[in-house]
Amino acid sequence: MNSKKSTAYNNRLGIKGWVYAGKYTFERYLYLAHRLTGMGLIAYMLLHILETANRMRGVVAWEGLMGLFALPLFKMIEYALFAAAVFHALNGVRLLMTELGFFLGRPKEPVYPYSSSIKRHRPLTYIIMALASLIIILGGSSLFFP
Amino acid sequence: MRETRLWSWHLLVIPIIIVLLGLHFAIMHYAPVFYGVSVEEARNFETMIERGKSVSQLVLYILLLAAALYHGLYGLRGIIRELPMTPALGKIVDITVICVGLFIFAFGTYVTWWTFSYPVGG
Repeated sequence: MNSKKSTAYNNRLGIKGWVYAGKYTFERYLYLAHRLTGMGLIAYMLLHILETANRMRGVVAWEGLMGLFALPLFKMIEYALFAAAVFHALNGVRLLMTELGFFLGRPKEPVYPYSSSIKRHRPLTYIIMALASLIIILGGSSLFFP
Repeated sequence: MRETRLWSWHLLVIPIIIVLLGLHFAIMHYAPVFYGVSVEEARNFETMIERGKSVSQLVLYILLLAAALYHGLYGLRGIIRELPMTPALGKIVDITVICVGLFIFAFGTYVTWWTFSYPVGG
């Protein structure tokens, strides 16, 4: 490895850096889930636009595609998409509030016993994740048992 | 400064996406709950065309398309740009993301416009 390259790219783990959360906290795993759901949603969105364009091929093509989407497998995919969107949106709201400095508490001197901003933020994390779980469960029951 | 502006837009479009995607889910995926009609009925060709002829739907869907594409592709670009790469490769990633975004936006807008201008009675 040449010295220029190692200087330019040291301390960058690449994909391992964000996939492996190690001993880090709950929020670190939420970060990973946020990325995975985000990538899933953008991939689906691109496919969804192409699939929506199928209407231009006429009634028969459209109804055929909608018939396919009524199959249980596609219902499951639809539900996974809904769950991913709800999680990503609510976790995103939490991140937005953190970004804007809400629910982090006042800055304190690092005196034992320590109280980190992450710990002060934790109740909000639990509330938001409970809300996301509730919406995902309700969404599932409405989708499968209308 | 440029990155700050791009990041700010990434955050500013979030409320738009939440509201409009919520509406999209309510109309297309949860029609029995919110509108009292079956999903099949909500996705029927005639119903879909009828809905698509509304000016508000045309505007809101194009807005959702732009906001979601920007938010999603900017996020994806951030994830890719975190990986070890040369500045030249980073530039290629940026240009590719912009081109894909513009293409999908143009295509999605065309489909929405096609629905809006679909002749009554087929």
